[in-house]
Amino acid sequence: MILLQSPSRFLLQILHDRLLSQDKGVDIDCQTVEFDDVRYHIQVSMRNPKVLVLSVALPLPPEEAASFDGLPFGAIEAIKAAYGPVVQILDPPKDGFDLTLKINLAKLPSDEEQKNAILLQIASIREVVLGAPLKILLKNLSMKTVGPEAGQPVALVHRPNESFFVVPQADKATVVYPMRFLDSIDIVLATSFLQEFVEARRTAALNNAPACMWSQSPPPELKGAPESALTANAGFVTFVVNPRHVEGKKLDRTVWNLLTFHAYVSYHVKCSEGFMHTRMRRRVDTLIQALDRAKSDAEKLKKMVTGPSFKK
Amino acid sequence: MDASSRPAVVIDNGTGFTKMGFAGNVEPCFIIPTVVAVNDTLSSQSKSSNKGNWLAQHTAGVMADLDFYIGEEALSRSRASTNYNLSYPIHNGQVENWDAMERFWQQCIFNYLRCDPEDHYFLLTESPLTAPENREYAGEIMFETFNIPGLYIAVQPVLALAAGYTTTKCEMTGVVVDVGDGATHVVPVADGYVIGSSIKSIPITGKDVTCFVQKLLKERGEFIPPEDSFEVVRKIKETYCYTCSDIVKEFNKHDREPSKFIKHWTGVKPKSGATYTCDIGYERFMGPEIFFSPEIYGSDFTTPLPAVIDKCIQSSPIDTRRALYKNIVLSGGSTMFKDFHRRLQRDLKKIVDTRVRAASSRLGPDVKSQPIEVNVANHPIQKYAVWFGGSVLASTAEFYTACHTKAEYEEYGASICRTNPVFKGMY
Repeated sequence: MILLQSPSRFLLQILHDRLLSQDKGVDIDCQTVEFDDVRYHIQVSMRNPKVLVLSVALPLPPEEAASFDGLPFGAIEAIKAAYGPVVQILDPPKDGFDLTLKINLAKLPSDEEQKNAILLQIASIREVVLGAPLKILLKNLSMKTVGPEAGQPVALVHRPNESFFVVPQADKATVVYPMRFLDSIDIVLATSFLQEFVEARRTAALNNAPACMWSQSPPPELKGAPESALTANAGFVTFVVNPRHVEGKKLDRTVWNLLTFHAYVSYHVKCSEGFMHTRMRRRVDTLIQALDRAKSDAEKLKKMVTGPSFKK
Repeated sequence: MDASSRPAVVIDNGTGFTKMGFAGNVEPCFIIPTVVAVNDTLSSQSKSSNKGNWLAQHTAGVMADLDFYIGEEALSRSRASTNYNLSYPIHNGQVENWDAMERFWQQCIFNYLRCDPEDHYFLLTESPLTAPENREYAGEIMFETFNIPGLYIAVQPVLALAAGYTTTKCEMTGVVVDVGDGATHVVPVADGYVIGSSIKSIPITGKDVTCFVQKLLKERGEFIPPEDSFEVVRKIKETYCYTCSDIVKEFNKHDREPSKFIKHWTGVKPKSGATYTCDIGYERFMGPEIFFSPEIYGSDFTTPLPAVIDKCIQSSPIDTRRALYKNIVLSGGSTMFKDFHRRLQRDLKKIVDTRVRAASSRLGPDVKSQPIEVNVANHPIQKYAVWFGGSVLASTAEFYTACHTKAEYEEYGASICRTNPVFKGMY
């Protein structure tokens, strides 16, 4: 797995199972947590087997990111547009959650492909809700119009108490991430990963990708942002998004990739650590073999069936 | 919100299946086979060919590291193409291949559960026979690679006992009969501590039941497409098999009323798409019978399961024996056969009563002994009782204090993971 997938596997599994088992099955009441503090609570009761209640809790936004009624800007319109009559927003949301939806499986379209597409969309609820403000900004970009915030950095939430900045302009949008990691080894690995990332962009095959830069200090686009948001121990990554990256179907993919960039880097940092452990284990094995060979001949004669050897 | 206010992640790695999910839930989020499919072609190619186009090889080698699948996807990928080799990291409850295990955990955490390991405490499980070094390796991988804030490695039978908790009854003494897909153990636990010297294991597992049913069906001439015959037989076993009380009577019952007992299985041939049916008759009760009469399966192991349980309890300290007989807990998918617990209780009671009667006849009529109560517990979550026990324990407040934290790991090293104390929340 190279990229993080957009739908939540667990939600998709529950939705498919509910569809297949129709009226039998048991009550479901599950709480799950996803990366960056997104919590889901899904409930199905056997009294209405066709109705699922899904509650979503979002990460805590820092002060500079604007939010209306606890939900990101434009989230409610995005939900209505994406799901239509299948989903109904319950107001007020359940205690401890930011959004509660009632999903009515009886209202799914009967066509198999459309049904699966809507289920996939429901499982990608996180992308729809959290990505709503980013989607609006990028849609403006694709239509080459400019919203009221042209030229100013807009703070959007992607992790609890952390935000990333988007500077929308008429012909491009600059997205800047302050990268923060908790562990010192992670910081070092992330820094070298990001520098390699920028280097890789320069190879010939990737000319169509957004331009990418990394710098240790805050880039000039962030002049208007508050000081507290500008500390980053693994540098700042800047992407320049052009209108052709956000036209048509690519808009959703771009929104998701930009939204989960930090999780993506964190995943690859952990994979690199795992890879290094594999190499270390292999190296330990070869060293042990060398040590085992380095016994004197007299010892070899004295050795019984299982003689002394270095254990791992 | 810090890590201790978020639900802990409970991962139960078994030889056959891994159950994972978040604490506080009734059932695991995912139950997937413990198998990793690795793409070996790219890494072996780069060793043999020489300099030309090293960039392509380098990227291929780098990407090969991330090109692997686990669980059901691994099985379907390995069937679809020959590039992927399956590897089973766990044998008999012990992790044999740590590289594969690390990758497996990586996929579990990032792809299936999709949680950030830095935010959650982890509860892993291990078989009671694991060496302390294995706990150390697991702790090292978890703390170094995934940077988790806290880890607790629990012993599977203790969690199975915890699964039987109700608000009034918290029995931490009992015998856990864990019949899984890859390993079967009978483990006595007294006050939350495993009596290590009395652990007995038998080589008959869920996989053996499937093989036996497969053999019987083949001998009778039933047609099942050979490509997925194992999978089909496994589903048949899970749907139709049951435990009978007496083989001879059962054979007679089947012969007298075939229509009531014989079931039909319809499936679709994978290659041609045509449907086929096969009948399942005697196999329905012969399958689980191998636990009670292993000689019908093979000649190298002939002790029936109730006798093994009895031997295990008799080898435990004498003051624990009554309590152990009173609380025999079943766990594992292969104990889900209908009436398995009733048959086990009946056979075990017979053995115990015979012995008590022999003892009292030797001692004469003046000495009266209290009858030994034999009780085999049965509840609907046996299939993942270990996971459920883990979920129950990891949702108590004391769990977070009993875990080994990252700070302790950095101070003392991986050896802290060798011991995991039984904590107050358990009883």
